[in-house]
Amino acid sequence: MSGTFKRLAWVLGGLVIAMAIASIQSGTDAANLTKAGAYFIALVGLSFLTGWSGQISIGNSGFMLVGGYAAAFWTLHHPGEPVVISLLVAIVASAFVGLVLGMPATRLRGPYLAGMTLAFAVALPYVPQSFAVSTLGGSQGLTITPLSAPQWFSHLFDTSTTLPVVINSRFTAMVSVLIAALVLWLMSNLFASKLGRAMRLVRDNDVAAELVGLHLGRTRAQAFVVSAALSGLAGALLVMVSGTASPSTYEFGFTFSIALLTLMVLGGIGSLGGAIIAALLGVYSMQITTWITNHTGLGPTSWVSNKLPNLAPNMENILFGVLLIVTMIFAPRGIVGLVSGLRQKLISVTRR
Amino acid sequence: MISISNLSVAYGAITALDDVTIQAPTGAITAVLGANGAGKTTLLRTISGLVKPRSGSITANGHALIGERPDAIARLGIAHVPEGRGVIAEFTVEENLRLGALGAKTNVTSGLEEQYALFPVLKERRKQYAAQLSGGERQMLALGRAMIANPQILLLDEPSLGLAPLVTQDIMNTIKTLCANSGLTVILVEQNAKSALKISDFAAVLHVGKSIAVRPAAEVAADESLRSYYLGMAE
Amino acid sequence: MIANILTNRIVNDIAGGASQGVIIGLVALCLVLVWRATRVLNFAQGPMAMFVTYIGMTQMDHHVNFWLAAVISMVVGFMFSALTEIVIVKPLYHKAEINPIVVMVGMFTLLEAIASAIWTNIPRYPTAPYSSINFQSSGNPTGLSPLSTFQIAAALAVMTFVAVLFNYTSLGLKLRASALAPEVSKLLGLRVSRLLTLGWGIAGAVGAVAGVVISLNPGGLSPNMLDAMFILGFIAAAIGGLDSPLGALISGVGIGVIMQLINDYWNSNYADMVAVVLLVVALMLRPQGIFTKNSARRV
Repeated sequence: MSGTFKRLAWVLGGLVIAMAIASIQSGTDAANLTKAGAYFIALVGLSFLTGWSGQISIGNSGFMLVGGYAAAFWTLHHPGEPVVISLLVAIVASAFVGLVLGMPATRLRGPYLAGMTLAFAVALPYVPQSFAVSTLGGSQGLTITPLSAPQWFSHLFDTSTTLPVVINSRFTAMVSVLIAALVLWLMSNLFASKLGRAMRLVRDNDVAAELVGLHLGRTRAQAFVVSAALSGLAGALLVMVSGTASPSTYEFGFTFSIALLTLMVLGGIGSLGGAIIAALLGVYSMQITTWITNHTGLGPTSWVSNKLPNLAPNMENILFGVLLIVTMIFAPRGIVGLVSGLRQKLISVTRR
Repeated sequence: MISISNLSVAYGAITALDDVTIQAPTGAITAVLGANGAGKTTLLRTISGLVKPRSGSITANGHALIGERPDAIARLGIAHVPEGRGVIAEFTVEENLRLGALGAKTNVTSGLEEQYALFPVLKERRKQYAAQLSGGERQMLALGRAMIANPQILLLDEPSLGLAPLVTQDIMNTIKTLCANSGLTVILVEQNAKSALKISDFAAVLHVGKSIAVRPAAEVAADESLRSYYLGMAE
Repeated sequence: MIANILTNRIVNDIAGGASQGVIIGLVALCLVLVWRATRVLNFAQGPMAMFVTYIGMTQMDHHVNFWLAAVISMVVGFMFSALTEIVIVKPLYHKAEINPIVVMVGMFTLLEAIASAIWTNIPRYPTAPYSSINFQSSGNPTGLSPLSTFQIAAALAVMTFVAVLFNYTSLGLKLRASALAPEVSKLLGLRVSRLLTLGWGIAGAVGAVAGVVISLNPGGLSPNMLDAMFILGFIAAAIGGLDSPLGALISGVGIGVIMQLINDYWNSNYADMVAVVLLVVALMLRPQGIFTKNSARRV
């Protein structure tokens, strides 16, 4: 594809998505899309670390917490300033924490690293909860005015037929998708860059990487910083939309780190397309689970559910646990890997 | 008697052994010689089941070996001393020996006595970690650990590797004695052709995955073309 | 004089902390056992132990006494762990380092969800065979109760059993050999694959003891009861070195005591953070753990 054509494709794709978002009728769907944008960014952050530089993290929810709190803190003390600045503050703050954690982490291999990041994610929510309660709000957290649609945006719609809430959700969805698209563009460029190649070499063959003069520790630490910055951005985006950052925010707890890992593996480790699928999967997992349980005879009125009334709320995690194990054993490249494998097969069949 | 027929082994696209046929008669030492990368180690690893061949057959004392698991092959009485001796450095000398008896399900106490009689130096050092032994002592430990299993067939991969000439000679003489005393069938893989040929009854040469000759050792030793081309023994 | 020492606040904290620390050490030991045998860090160690503890302890509802229930937990723990190794871990040997980690994380999610579906999230409190009221010395409480004494004794007994099994028996020699040098062990005739399964089984039984002992704590038995304990166990194992069972025990007790002191003199919320800080500092100083011998990484 030539450069101009590629640019045109981006613009057209953006327009189509924008029009699609503008026509969303339900506030929930728009809110889900907002979340999906943030999840996508967080997933790319994790995928970059694990898929490109070969380091595993079960602690990226911690970086999201840092970003979320940084954005809330800045917004609280600088009301009225552009949202972009809050997001940049979040990126810088989480990147810094990523650097601090990345320095010892780069000396660790697989399981030690995974355990250390997990411990980081578990312990971090205690920081705002116990320290500096007056500045960070203790277990209540910080509350800010959530992002709302500006005048010019509201004027695009017929306010007599569309609720302001829905217009607001459409606006945040658009902002979130726009930022996600920006991240997608940046990361696809990064993949082809010198740093991207260095990352892959470090992942695939650290001895060779050292022989060609790459500083292993530095390259791994860089991956940590990029991953933390993206996670922080995702956390900040969630906080700017919801208006609260608290120690009990789902996305800031270690269970979300596990969810991120699960989604990334299901989508396809190291794949940007996989991250899009995974983000949507994360947002709609409840609906997907309900659909599956209803269509497999495990629904709320079934025999099993009568026996085990507590099955329904746990169905999502049961399904994800099973999927994660099965995927890792039988299709370690995730959904994206399955699709491309299928395409290869189709191509070879048609060529024959 | 161990009989290898038309054996071919490949690692991916790289052929390691190509249609190799070698027979090692009972109670004799058969040397397999050749340069680095000729496929000698692959040959032994295929016999003991660590590598799956592409085609061909291996029989040892009437048992077909291909398709068997390495531990089952070991329990058939085939002891394999791998390249680099394979002693477990974190274990003491005695623990290494005990392990050999446990794997083969032979009597530990009498086995230890026999091996200590054969290798007095191992008895002296029985409480020391294998990591603390010299190269020659490690090779003796590896031999002792193989012999404690009462094997009928002994596969030796480069026993002279990294040893001083005098120590090599010592080890080779030990191997010769073991074979003479117990009717053991030995396949001795060596790069050091000169020392190997001294104690061997028969010799085969491997060259880039192909077997060239299976002849009495003395004949091979006297063959000028083999000596200079493949064995690097030009004097 | 002795009475003063027995009821001294710091001494009490150390005793109480050590009793929890031994349990942390027990969890760490499970991780070390599995790691040494198969180079897999079992992230689902906590939920696996929790699950089999439920299976055993809920038998007490059916008039099974505590001791039999504990034995059921251990037997099921052994079988469950061995089965896990056969079904989902074996296919992952020789794969990338992260694959088994991810699979065990999946196991973590799955088991906690199933436990919650079957037994709900409401904690259960198995009847302990001993009182949890602290021993008294001249009218003042000491740091230990009959129950915590039993918990320490159970943990130490299991650790002694494991130490003897691995260091002084033929089976232990074979288990250690298959873990250290699988290929050489195969050449010597050991059924390595079976021995690795057995190693997982033993770790599962040890984990079940940890689960049973922890279910007698005030928090009781709940689907996520071992999450915090797993983190602490991992921290202990990582500080001690994943290859060193003794290191796991020592750092487990150390962490238990430090956390108890922080709880008592400072703020219970800080205890977890301090443990993490300890981990980070320890790993920065010695990335391979404090109690392991320095060895070159295999390329």
